[in-house]
Amino acid sequence: MIGAALYLARRSLVNGIRRRLTRLRQPKYMVGFAVGLLYYYWLFIRPRGSAVGGGGTLPSSAAEAIAILGLGALVAMGWLFGSSRSPLVFTPAETHFLFTAPLTRRQVLNFKLLRSQLALFLSSLLSVLLFSGGHFPATRILRVLGLWLVFATLQMHAGVTALVRQSLEEHGVTAVRRRLGAFVVLAAIVGGAAFTLRGQFAVVQAAFIAGPASGFEALTTLLHRGALGVLTWPLAVLVRPALAPDITGFAALLPAALLVVAVHYIWLVRSSVAFEEVAVESAERMARRIAAWRSGRRPPPAAGAAKRARPPLTRLAPTGGPVRAIAWKNVQAEWRGSGVRIPVLIAIGVIAVAWVASLGKEAGTGLQILTMLLALFGAMAVVFGPYGLRNDLRSDLQLWDLLKSYPLRGPDLVAGEALGPVTVLTGISWACFLGAFLVSLAFEVPGFSLAERVAVLLAAAIASPALLCVTTLIQNAAVLFFPAWITLGPARAAGVEMIGQRLVTMVGSQVLLVVALIPALVMASVAIAIGGLAGVTGVWLAVPGALAVAVTLAFEARLAVAWLGRVFERSDPAAEIGGLGGG
Amino acid sequence: MIEVQGLTKLYGSLVAVDDLSFSVAPGEVLGLVGPNGAGKTTTLRSLVGIIRPTRGSIRVGGHDLETDPVEAKRQLAFMPDEPRLFEYLTVEEHLRFTARLYGVQDAEGRIPALLRELELAEKTSALPDELSRGMKQKLAIACGLLHEPTALLFDEPLTGLDPAGMRRMKQTIVERARHGAAVILSSHLLQLVEEVCTRVLVIHRGRVVAIGTIAEIVASRPDLQGRSLEEIFLALTGT
Repeated sequence: MIGAALYLARRSLVNGIRRRLTRLRQPKYMVGFAVGLLYYYWLFIRPRGSAVGGGGTLPSSAAEAIAILGLGALVAMGWLFGSSRSPLVFTPAETHFLFTAPLTRRQVLNFKLLRSQLALFLSSLLSVLLFSGGHFPATRILRVLGLWLVFATLQMHAGVTALVRQSLEEHGVTAVRRRLGAFVVLAAIVGGAAFTLRGQFAVVQAAFIAGPASGFEALTTLLHRGALGVLTWPLAVLVRPALAPDITGFAALLPAALLVVAVHYIWLVRSSVAFEEVAVESAERMARRIAAWRSGRRPPPAAGAAKRARPPLTRLAPTGGPVRAIAWKNVQAEWRGSGVRIPVLIAIGVIAVAWVASLGKEAGTGLQILTMLLALFGAMAVVFGPYGLRNDLRSDLQLWDLLKSYPLRGPDLVAGEALGPVTVLTGISWACFLGAFLVSLAFEVPGFSLAERVAVLLAAAIASPALLCVTTLIQNAAVLFFPAWITLGPARAAGVEMIGQRLVTMVGSQVLLVVALIPALVMASVAIAIGGLAGVTGVWLAVPGALAVAVTLAFEARLAVAWLGRVFERSDPAAEIGGLGGG
Repeated sequence: MIEVQGLTKLYGSLVAVDDLSFSVAPGEVLGLVGPNGAGKTTTLRSLVGIIRPTRGSIRVGGHDLETDPVEAKRQLAFMPDEPRLFEYLTVEEHLRFTARLYGVQDAEGRIPALLRELELAEKTSALPDELSRGMKQKLAIACGLLHEPTALLFDEPLTGLDPAGMRRMKQTIVERARHGAAVILSSHLLQLVEEVCTRVLVIHRGRVVAIGTIAEIVASRPDLQGRSLEEIFLALTGT
């Protein structure tokens, strides 16, 4: 079994490297590879001062305390939010060959665990390199090995939690009850620990006031005290080898860490829950996704049961222009594809921050914070939104052949595609700006009158849709011109060259945006000058400036839509993204 | 209805389709057959406007696909082997969306009838992910038929269908032809071709090897007399 796993790992690695090297003959991959190498050099190898966490000002106990808390949080999150769908992720080929082979359950698990070790080791190595500051003494390999142990244990722990959840599921315990149960247990642990150690908190606080070193020292002592110490012991012994200063220390700490690893291994392989059925289901789903990606189609969702459709935001009339229909489709996709968890968490976070700020001595502080946060979110939606919302040509690229079969002019299609995310982001940014304005009415800002706030609101509302249009079109242009550089699926998602291609695309997009903004800013300067001559003063000058920006960018967007439309009409999906041919 | 003249598609030095010429009249079902890599899919995709031919012309309903693509595509419906659906549109929304794209004026009346006809009336609010493979295929067909196309192109239409689904699909193809549509059907299933098609176009390495009814093809090659369609196909393509 070990021989087969090693053979598979070795051959997969060799063939993968060979395939990548062959692909480098194409200039677009070679350029990406060169840029990717430079990026990795810059990130991992270039000498840069002292190593992070490698001899800094904090004592080793600080690193241990942080590692224990981080690991504890990861474990807790796994129990609270983890999925029971795939205890261990098997590829379709693995399920086909392993589950039908004359192997025991333990052998299959051993194979899977063994095969994943190379990836875990590389993750450990990269993690250490990232914080090495360009210095990699021989002893740093101990940190890599220690981190490898942590990652391997976490992987097995995730497998165990998934099997436990699956077992509960089989016994009719719903997801909500499972999470509630995990929450109650965790809350009881945290609450119990907090209650028994409540007298120590003041000591830790005082120690932190005295200095970070003594603070972390006190925190570490607290983590190892009493019942909490028992709970954190497995976490502590697991992270200690990674923090060992030398080989002697590492060797001394290793047995305890290996004990934790062994316990996890035994727990996993002795679990009576059958994982095969779920693994096969998961693998089949993965196979469908890979097949969809490779044939240029949109893949089915990653996991979970089939979704019920949320009611539409608006109903599409069956007659009317196609541009609005395509934009409507993309807005629907955004509405139905986005979860409510992140917006709710952001809203709770904003309110919590504002509430905490309002506890200060100065009245109204919380509202001021809320105003700033809303304005900030609005601005972030305008600047970063087009990179996050991808329900336009970037997602429809997988249905390129379907789009090309529609009786549409290219410019109409491009306009409709881009209008979807622009509409959503305009709605979000306007809501944020309006919210900020309304909240700001509750307090006075010296030197910033109500009228001036209205001017800022108007300027932001006028300029943001045009800016969103141009940024979104640039992102769509990248898809049209370099479809092979856009991440479509597993076959194109990895490798140095892909990192490089993403960097080139990102930098190219930023350069284009700057070029697009130059005429807009020139026109804005002219408009502000004219406004000044006409008697407009102060903040109100932002309104004609924003108008000029909006008009100029809208003009540019119109030209871009016409051009990109023609590019779309002339494009050949089979030649660009491949895999579309059949017979 | 569908006229193809000198269709050629090159990928670099690879000739995918080489000087292909044929026409399909209203009411006719043309079977497009050939071994793997013969150029069937490239031909179909060229006919729909997905791929731009390197040379040659394609006219659909009198409209040139190169110079008047919008009107040409308005006459067309393409049913790929795998249904292409939008992940976040429900069954009914797919039809309303398609109606907008094809400018269907009486869609409000036509959509419910089509949903009933294709046994999708119970699934109007379902997303594609909630549908079985056969249901997805039906939805793709409903979208294709909504604008009452006069030219239909099917690529391996029976893929993934159960026997009942296969039967319905064959009925759909024949009925559309009977109502005056020009149909092109690409498939490896020679039985299907024999059962449904009025003429056969055999291509091999991108070139026309034979075209006509099976009787016409056999008449042009006396050595094929008395052989099954499978044997004729193998003899023509040399596979």
